[in-house]
Amino acid sequence: MTLTTTNSKPREDTPEGRLEDRRLLTGKGRFVDDLKLEGQAYMGMVRSPYAHAKINSIDFSKARSSPDFIASLTGEDLLKEGVSPLSQNPWPFQKRAKRYHLAVGKVRFAGEPVAAILVKSKNSVEDLIELVEVDYESLPVVTTIEESKQGKAIIYEEWGDNASLTNEVKKGDAEKAIASAAYVIHAREGIARQAAAPIEPHAVLASYDSKEDAYDVWATVQSVHGTRDKLASELKKPKEKFHVRVMDMGGGFGSKGAQSYPEAPLACIFARRTGLPVKWTATRSEEFLEAAAGRDEYCDITLACDKSGRIVALKARVECDSGVTGSQAHMPTMTIETMPGPYRIPNQDITVAAYVTNKMPLGPVRGAGGPEGCYFIERAVDLLAKKIGLDPIEFRRRNVSRQDGPAEGEVDFELLLDTLVKSSHYEELIQWRSDMYSRFMQQGPSHSSLIGGLGVSITGSDESDEEEEEEDWSGGSSGGEGGAGAGSKPWQSGGGSGGTAGEKWTAHPPGETGSAWQSGGSEGSGSWQNSGESSERREWPGAGEETLGFMSESARITLDKNGKVTVYTGSSPHGQGEETTFAQLASEELGVPLDWVTVVWGDTTLIPKGVGTYGSRSAATGGSAVVDASRKLKAQLLTRASQTLGVDAKSLEIRGGCLVNASRPDAVLATLNAVLEKQHADEVSASSVFTLGGMSYSSGVHLCALTLDAELGKVKIAKYVVVEDCGRMINKTIVEGQLHGGVLHAVGGALFERLAYDEEGNLLSSTFMDYNIPTALDSPDVEVFHETTPSTVTLNGAKGVGESGTNGSYGAVINALNDALSQVGTGIEFSMAPATPDAIFRALNASGAKPQPSA
Amino acid sequence: MKVNGKQVSGNVEPRTLLVNFIRDGLNLTGTHVGCDTGHCGACTVMVDGKTVKSCMVLAVQAQGAEILTVEGLAEGDKLHPIQEAFWRNHGLQCGFCTPGLLMSGLYLLQKNPDPSDEEIRRGIEGNLCRCTGYVNVVKSVRAAAKSMREGEVGGA
Amino acid sequence: MIPKRFDYYAPASLDDAIRLLGEDEEAKVLAGGQSLLPMMKLRLAAPTALVDITKMAGLSYVRDDGDNLAIGALTTHDAVEHDRTIKERFAAINDAVVRIGDQQVRNRGTIGGSACHADPAADLPTALLASDAQFVIQGKEGQRVVPARDFFVDVFATAVAHDEILTEIRLAYPPPRSASAYVKHSLRESDFAMAMVGAAVTLGDGNACRDVRIGLGSAGPTPLRATSAEQYLMGKVPEDDAIMKAAEMAAEGADPPSDVHGSREYRLEMIKVLTRRSLKLALSRVK
Repeated sequence: MTLTTTNSKPREDTPEGRLEDRRLLTGKGRFVDDLKLEGQAYMGMVRSPYAHAKINSIDFSKARSSPDFIASLTGEDLLKEGVSPLSQNPWPFQKRAKRYHLAVGKVRFAGEPVAAILVKSKNSVEDLIELVEVDYESLPVVTTIEESKQGKAIIYEEWGDNASLTNEVKKGDAEKAIASAAYVIHAREGIARQAAAPIEPHAVLASYDSKEDAYDVWATVQSVHGTRDKLASELKKPKEKFHVRVMDMGGGFGSKGAQSYPEAPLACIFARRTGLPVKWTATRSEEFLEAAAGRDEYCDITLACDKSGRIVALKARVECDSGVTGSQAHMPTMTIETMPGPYRIPNQDITVAAYVTNKMPLGPVRGAGGPEGCYFIERAVDLLAKKIGLDPIEFRRRNVSRQDGPAEGEVDFELLLDTLVKSSHYEELIQWRSDMYSRFMQQGPSHSSLIGGLGVSITGSDESDEEEEEEDWSGGSSGGEGGAGAGSKPWQSGGGSGGTAGEKWTAHPPGETGSAWQSGGSEGSGSWQNSGESSERREWPGAGEETLGFMSESARITLDKNGKVTVYTGSSPHGQGEETTFAQLASEELGVPLDWVTVVWGDTTLIPKGVGTYGSRSAATGGSAVVDASRKLKAQLLTRASQTLGVDAKSLEIRGGCLVNASRPDAVLATLNAVLEKQHADEVSASSVFTLGGMSYSSGVHLCALTLDAELGKVKIAKYVVVEDCGRMINKTIVEGQLHGGVLHAVGGALFERLAYDEEGNLLSSTFMDYNIPTALDSPDVEVFHETTPSTVTLNGAKGVGESGTNGSYGAVINALNDALSQVGTGIEFSMAPATPDAIFRALNASGAKPQPSA
Repeated sequence: MKVNGKQVSGNVEPRTLLVNFIRDGLNLTGTHVGCDTGHCGACTVMVDGKTVKSCMVLAVQAQGAEILTVEGLAEGDKLHPIQEAFWRNHGLQCGFCTPGLLMSGLYLLQKNPDPSDEEIRRGIEGNLCRCTGYVNVVKSVRAAAKSMREGEVGGA
Repeated sequence: MIPKRFDYYAPASLDDAIRLLGEDEEAKVLAGGQSLLPMMKLRLAAPTALVDITKMAGLSYVRDDGDNLAIGALTTHDAVEHDRTIKERFAAINDAVVRIGDQQVRNRGTIGGSACHADPAADLPTALLASDAQFVIQGKEGQRVVPARDFFVDVFATAVAHDEILTEIRLAYPPPRSASAYVKHSLRESDFAMAMVGAAVTLGDGNACRDVRIGLGSAGPTPLRATSAEQYLMGKVPEDDAIMKAAEMAAEGADPPSDVHGSREYRLEMIKVLTRRSLKLALSRVK
């Protein structure tokens, strides 16, 4: 179904600044740790220093002797209480990993909580944590994929082995095509384990109302509805008993989305047991230890093309270190779906296997498998281009060119490449690179000479190929939220991760959903279609009610007689600007001034149904719901006005909050307020639950120009250009901000960031000193250019854009680095991120190339 | 001590950090805590006219000092030029690192009213941001520099 | 995030401070706190008392002291950065201080604090060693002066006794035709160095080296002098070949660690590269 959009012209009338900014600029934001409740107590988590160990005993006696001690909880307490394990949302081809909020029997990663305490004063929390004595018995530790495969220790005994997920994408006959191809390359590529690292650590403030047996929970979450469902499922209470809220949140990048963390449910339990409000805020160390991390994927790739440079086959073996595996750990699947990118590759043989190890859980982190997939193919494309002797942009052009032009709604990648060449002044960059090389050869590194490198990448998908894909998909139906991108198609924005496009992806069949968040097969919180076990259906009120899946979002819009328009959205902005963009959409659709509109989110009572903000979905799904609800409300208003004014509704329009004659818009017939007054209506409203009919894809081409100090192995990015297409932009400035941030997030991942563990499973990178995210000095100016192919599945023509920047950057940066390295010596191929100076140095040494200082 | 021009006092343990005194003792929650080791800069305030990370200062060390937090920048409803510049130039997304960045930006401009982009980046080196990629932050500080020199806020 | 409990004193005089330190073995001096407080917040350090010396007057200055430039121990990095004399005559110190942390850290951290904290990965100790600084230490019995070579004793340990306080750092004015430089290589600009080298040279007749000092940081438990390299260069004209050779020798005796930021092998190689670069930079500054 093709949906008509309002139009595809860019909006000129964007506001001069965001609506949410004033409170954030004046220190009046309401982040969870800012909130206080009278008499609140503070929760502390006792965490295992060991990566894999049996818990022999836990002794609170020393802690108890402190006057600040209030209460304690252990895993055994939770079992007695009948709490369900941490919610999981595994894909069908993924094993369920059973872990409790506090470890039961054994711990599986350093930092996993084994006990929780409640303390009177904030300053004493760590004092009392230290007084809790836990007796551990260490077990062998698994810290690599190899060790996991060999079964050095079995992380989840009930599995029998450590394989958590396998999946594949197959098409044609890759083996045959490779054997007869004109040019073939092989490479081993990888991205280390990396953190989302939002600047605001996780926090929760929970309180309990004993009269209502209900919980009020403020939490740093990307989906209050998802969190509510998880709480209900884990604590085995009806959803209505949980009022979950968030207002301002200091970034999430996936780590505050899909993952089930122990602290919110534990805070609820403490609140109920003690009658006190319970506050918990993670320290940065805890954030690093426990927050779901991303990446940690490695790929052996073979790419082949014919004489003319058209790619004929892609073969790839991807392996992923899942840590203890997360609530949503499907990103490796996203990787293989994403990998073919926009290229039409007739023969594909891509497999993925994820293994569990004794590390923190893996979860969606900005891009959620998409950056990995894009990186893996884009590195290989560069290698193949080099082999055949084609310029990297030309090689890509040959492979994205569509004989009959792009399909309807499909991004024109050739156009994006052309725009990139023009906007980046590519010819000048070639000259710059050449000049730097001459200078380097003349002066040599004794003068600290730098070499220039250029790299490009494309992020996007082959949107025309959907029909064919259907039969080959072996993944079955998917479930759940989280992450982004996907399909053999990267960048599925708008539906979160959902695997391939269109109708073949069904979330749980309607009526059977309960929640996508299920905490365990036989512990039974609703039926879990893939558990394979017969699970009891728990009959609590609300179970079985339809829960929105990732292709949907809700909106309700009200207009009161004072001219106040309120948009209630299931989306949950935390920096992405929906407080402004959704107000823009409503104002535009309704025909009212922007300052009439307020956007409200993050409250499960005010907004009963919603999905949240992750996976680049809000502009597409949430925005469409806002447009739909606005249109419904407008229709209502026009009907009312036609009654009041005695004219045909079709002859009316709304401009500036007034009813006007559609053919003579400067003639004001009545104000909306007057119409409502006449009708004795205090407020009118309309709702929408909008579901996308298919995926929407954001695309882009990236170019990175960097300098390399070959002696030090030090890289500095000199210029970064993106040409992106996210459909019709609601707010260009906000879109560009998303690209800036997304690109830099991956620049950090390409150059600096690694969550390093030692062989005993101790996390070595648990502070911002050891886990290095880019500072202002390390970051390039990012130039963003736009093409617009409106989405055909959203009502506002917009596609999501939150993750597009991250997708393309690893490839652009590492390709540019290799371009620079190739000028220092031959045979150096560097395909492991992060490309730290030490790693570059080792690659140079291994290849025998060494920058020779001149005499 | 004086905070945003107002005389305040409190009784704290020696180990109470200045940032916690500001947030919990004085209920000024605009200054944020983002890390344990003084790297993120979200807690940046001015003590006696100099930017410091308030998580790396004991409250007792600020005895007798004059402190400026983000809440002290605006005058009633009127935003400080640097706040106005960040607003007009999309210098913030989630807003968590913003108060600290405003402080560092302001301090830089007080010492160097016409900084280059490189100087701006160096001046805010101690403030980590994960959302913006710093591009519009630099633009905002540049715009603030111009408006503070010329008395008019616009785009950079 | 919150340190263990401790008592806090803010004495008005040096004598009071020294007395307080003498009374408690576990007490520590608190100056800028930019190194000590993070350690205490992570509970890697847990002094039972902090003696805050920042409330004392008269310990923050940069002044001409005849043959020396005298820098008060409580002079902040920011103040050191903006001192003209230091920039012109002790460039290595300026090169080092601008690379310390960030503006906020430099506003509060002090030269004395950095020296006494003696983190082998910190910038100033290396630059001070290469500049042959002298350290003025006040104790119960009075004052004594310790040269840089003897000041840095071990990781986080200096010649300052538990109940003594560093009050001043002296830098002897270098003779004519002298210059210095400090270069650092770190992952991000503000990070601790993976390798750092400070070099100071004085040229004599025929442009031969009359004096050479090469200080290495992140090369062992304390900053080191690269003595073989120094001896090699003495009396030689420091042309490219000689510098190359000296750079090769600089890593002798260096014992850098391997950690998440860089391997030992890499750091040894970087010591050579940076030795060459800092020597060349220093030489380019000789008037």
